[in-house]
Amino acid sequence: MVSNPSQAEDLAQEAFLQLFRKIGTFRGESAFSTWLHRMTVNVVLMQLRKKGLPVVSLEETLESDEEAPRKEFGANDVKLSGSVDRLQLQRAINRLPPGYKTVFVLHDVEGFEHNEIAQLVGCSIGNSKSQLHKARLKLRDYLKFMRAEKAKTG
Amino acid sequence: MTCSDVDRILPDIIDGASMDGNATSADQDFELQSHLSTCPDCSELVSDLRLIAGEARQLSDTDEPAPRVWVRIATQLRAEGLIRDPELPGLRTVVATPPRRQWRARWLAPVAILALAAGSLLLHQKTTSPVTPQIAKQPLVQQPETPVALPETQVAQQPASPSNKAVAPTPRSSQTAPEQAEISPPAGIDDQQFLSEVSSRAPSMRAAYETQLQAVNNEIRETQAYIRQYPGDMDARQHLMEVYQQKAMLYQMALDRIQ
Repeated sequence: MVSNPSQAEDLAQEAFLQLFRKIGTFRGESAFSTWLHRMTVNVVLMQLRKKGLPVVSLEETLESDEEAPRKEFGANDVKLSGSVDRLQLQRAINRLPPGYKTVFVLHDVEGFEHNEIAQLVGCSIGNSKSQLHKARLKLRDYLKFMRAEKAKTG
Repeated sequence: MTCSDVDRILPDIIDGASMDGNATSADQDFELQSHLSTCPDCSELVSDLRLIAGEARQLSDTDEPAPRVWVRIATQLRAEGLIRDPELPGLRTVVATPPRRQWRARWLAPVAILALAAGSLLLHQKTTSPVTPQIAKQPLVQQPETPVALPETQVAQQPASPSNKAVAPTPRSSQTAPEQAEISPPAGIDDQQFLSEVSSRAPSMRAAYETQLQAVNNEIRETQAYIRQYPGDMDARQHLMEVYQQKAMLYQMALDRIQ
């Protein structure tokens, strides 16, 4: 959810410290791993908010039927052809705007549902779906571009 | 079913109940499959988005934090009294504090700060100045090709001075479209000089910093190339500024750790 390895380490540290401090509040209503996962996500989101980064893109106020970016934008002569380089995907994710990235990581990487994401980040379910869809379209563009660049340089 | 219909229900197609992308109703599913079989663009789009969503699940982080993270956690927990060391009778430990080293290359600190200031200033200019269609048509970097590969190739000959035009404040009214479209990296930062200093002060850390520097420089290059091709992509520009800031933070981190 963050691009900087050093920042990720600091946040991992803070998440474990929070775990030690708040372990007494775990009531067993969910699996321990789920509880820890949510706590960790909250630590990251608080950090993003502290930095003033929009957790969900501020221009997104409409429901999921808002017009998505044109699918023609991008290197149309390059196809993903059923395979994605994992390293390129990670780099493409790091390029996403903070709002798109947060929702994409929470949903597609970490497996949260939209209703959970909406609660975590404080947005509507429709907003979450819309952000996710735009994030995927953006990633597709980035991946095609990277593939085209790689083909040029050999 | 038309391509517009597919666009509209695309999120549901990808996030359908299962990865095979069953649509919400049998009729809709039949129409969808019929359309996809005759429309290569939609078929490719659906396939690509499913692929991305599927591959993303494999990225769930399994990396362990570095050992220093555990040390810092333990230190903080001891400080808060949440854990205690077992007492070892007859043994006293004296923690020797290494003398603080004075790092002669103090220029890195103001350079790092300048880079951050440059990034903030350019970002402010970008967000407060309206983007006109002319800007979108301008190449992002109106410099010769070579300097775009800054900062790793830039020029050791350039002194680390604050005369970089990216830093110099420009009255908003005098900004032209090409200036607004430019995002220049901080000048005067020589990566080789930086690594030489790290080598001389903390040789064990050079490899790690070199790897991180390489990754950041690769990201800068690629993002610049992307922006040259798609100058209207504001997200990419924002990302470029963030990467410059990351590079400045990398220098600052080195300074903090080696001092």
